[in-house]
Amino acid sequence: MQTGTYISGAAHAALIAWVLFGGALQKKPAAPMPENMNVSVISAAELAAMSARQPDAPADAPAPPPVPPQENAPQAPAAEPPVKTTDAPSPKAPPAADASPDVTAIEPLPKAPSGETAPAAPPSPDTQTSARLVVKTPQPPQQQAAPRVAPKAAPAPPKDAQISDQAQKEVAPDPLAADKTPQKPKEAKAPAQAATEIVTEAEKPKAPLKSQRPKTRPSRPAAPKVAANPAKPPKPPAKSATDSAVAAALAATAPAPAAPSGPPLTGGEKDALRVAVQACWNVGSLSSEALATTVVVGVSMNRDGTPDAGSIRMLSSEGGSAAAAKQAYETARRAIIRCGAGGYNLPVEKYGRWQDIEMTFNPEKMRIK
Amino acid sequence: MRNLASLVLLLLAFAAPLSAQERSGPLRITITEGVIEPLPFAAPAFIAENPAAGEFARDIAQVIADDLAGTGLFRQIPAEAFISRITSFDAPVQYADWKAINAQALITGAVSAGTDGRMTVKFRVFDVFAQAQLGDGLQFGGSTGSWRRMAHKVADAVYSRITGEGAYFDSRVVFVAESGPKDARKKRLAIMDYDGANVQYLTDDRSIVLAPRFSPTGDRVLYTSYESGFPRIYEMNVASVTRRALDEQPGTMTFAPRFGPDGQAVVFSLSSGGNTDLYKLNLASGARQRLTSAPSIETAPSFSPDGSQIVFESDRSGNQQLYIMPSGGGEAQRISFGKGRYSTPVWSPRGDLIAFTKQYQGRFHIGVMRVDGSEERLLTSSFLDEGPTWSPNGRVIMFSRESQGAQGSSTLYSVDITGRNLKRVPTPGGASDPSWSPLQK
Repeated sequence: MQTGTYISGAAHAALIAWVLFGGALQKKPAAPMPENMNVSVISAAELAAMSARQPDAPADAPAPPPVPPQENAPQAPAAEPPVKTTDAPSPKAPPAADASPDVTAIEPLPKAPSGETAPAAPPSPDTQTSARLVVKTPQPPQQQAAPRVAPKAAPAPPKDAQISDQAQKEVAPDPLAADKTPQKPKEAKAPAQAATEIVTEAEKPKAPLKSQRPKTRPSRPAAPKVAANPAKPPKPPAKSATDSAVAAALAATAPAPAAPSGPPLTGGEKDALRVAVQACWNVGSLSSEALATTVVVGVSMNRDGTPDAGSIRMLSSEGGSAAAAKQAYETARRAIIRCGAGGYNLPVEKYGRWQDIEMTFNPEKMRIK
Repeated sequence: MRNLASLVLLLLAFAAPLSAQERSGPLRITITEGVIEPLPFAAPAFIAENPAAGEFARDIAQVIADDLAGTGLFRQIPAEAFISRITSFDAPVQYADWKAINAQALITGAVSAGTDGRMTVKFRVFDVFAQAQLGDGLQFGGSTGSWRRMAHKVADAVYSRITGEGAYFDSRVVFVAESGPKDARKKRLAIMDYDGANVQYLTDDRSIVLAPRFSPTGDRVLYTSYESGFPRIYEMNVASVTRRALDEQPGTMTFAPRFGPDGQAVVFSLSSGGNTDLYKLNLASGARQRLTSAPSIETAPSFSPDGSQIVFESDRSGNQQLYIMPSGGGEAQRISFGKGRYSTPVWSPRGDLIAFTKQYQGRFHIGVMRVDGSEERLLTSSFLDEGPTWSPNGRVIMFSRESQGAQGSSTLYSVDITGRNLKRVPTPGGASDPSWSPLQK
């Protein structure tokens, strides 16, 4: 009998080990996905409200963190006369032409173009404020969406309403009898004639505004719950040694909840971000050496999904010289800023998870073959 | 059971840190797929700082734009699309305006010309999306007659800053200018800017000339001429257009010369008694060294950039193939094993590739392969492509292409080593056998 027990025990241990290290646990998140993928129906109005939010972002000039004045004291401006290298003697041959083009002096100009930094000051009022708006209005954009939609919708009906002059006469009396709410019939006229979409959106959006975005995953919260359990020590004692061991081990995992807020991003959400950045990662103008250089770029994100351009930095590089890494990094930076100008599509409720992002740009597949 | 319990405990304890780690720290993603497309840039007309500079300001900006766009790596945004104007060289850049038209790089500059025939050109490059200047601004001085060179120099600097590799715009090409029908073609040496401008003729058309080759410093040219009735090598000083014959040996023919990286050693083919072998000549001392001694034909030698090896073609295996040997002579190693015939190998200035002409199934190709013969790839295909030469940065190959038929003519083409951006190099008439100079100082 004992032999059987040992065999059984060993087999179970092996199974548990396989489950733990074989990746079955880590893939766990994959399982809940299908459940979470429940289709949440979004009304046209909601969609409109969501998309209406985007225009806000672009309106603001992309955060231009005024580059710190790099001005190295312009030492000797153009003062120094170009070094003269006597033009090569003109060829004896007939082709006098410009056989001896002389390009002589090559002087570095006063480095920082006053244009960049100094200028930053003048335009700063506009740009900086707009930059701040971008930062501070991560949440507002959604709320603003409604008001903006509404005002636009309002003016629309009147235009169409003009068609029926008689109706206008009736409109005038409305304010007088504001309380009576006979307005309904009038509204009915407007929508009927005007673009129906605008009117309906203006009215309905108010509701959807509160539901910022479709909730993608309700299930994940399970993890924190587990963490909470260990907090209840009373249970374990009564249970068997195995249970207590499990509980203790789980308790060890508990500290995590203090970390980033919200559930981790799903694979789909990560993929969406990756695809978005890829679309702007143009390696066409990179040298072959830079194409062999992998760079890791860190970026802090604003709550509205736009990257904080000033926070973009190279964390590490591999495979090329410093110069090549610099080119690779600049290309990566352009990609992040360009495609993030309108805000990446990231779930706001998980902001804590993507507040800081490390992107590894590996051009291995893009190399010249 | 206790053992089992402790085992479970142990395993969970291991798993715990893993999951904890997974939950903390920044979000990490890896990007491996990008896009390959020309980088859009804006090059507004340069500012003319005085009336005399007016005519140059626009032209210089245009040459710069043409240089960059001509690489296939950049795309010029037409001036009509500009939102803001550059009114002063030091005026602040309105990044938002340039960003709006998707200009990823912005080049601004100014030109001033003195009454003494001299002028200065200064410029700056901006990374629009990063809202920062790329590198320092630079200023070039020179005579107004060499404004194109100054424009090329600006373009070189811009190219290097954005791509991270050396440039090639301020360089020249020596080639054989051809005129007349195929059966009575006249040939003479000519030199021009890399983009086809400023063509000058170095010889007249009384005798046939072949295969000119630049020295590493770009001040001299080696070529083969039939001036004496037999092919013979000459060295010409480009500036003074003076020449001298090299290594005159009665009863022999010399051809296919090429400079070594030090500018003093010259390798060439010498044909004597029906056999052709490779020789090396020291220009300073006049000492000559025989490098090969085989009954087969060895020709088209080319030094590696460090001067330690020579690649050449030989038919010792029955048909033309490529071989590499030490520059002092010695055992040669065959590197080409593909189908077809390989000829005119040229070592890349970077040292990593060898360009060649390949004839296979009735068509000619320009191709490149690694120094060990691996990763061969053909970049072109036509009725007759031959004579590759490398740009100073090893990124572009120029070659001559001849069209079919009695009226067929030869023209110059260039192609990126990726095989993209194949385009014709403008020349006044027919042209063949190009040789690209190093970047001018």
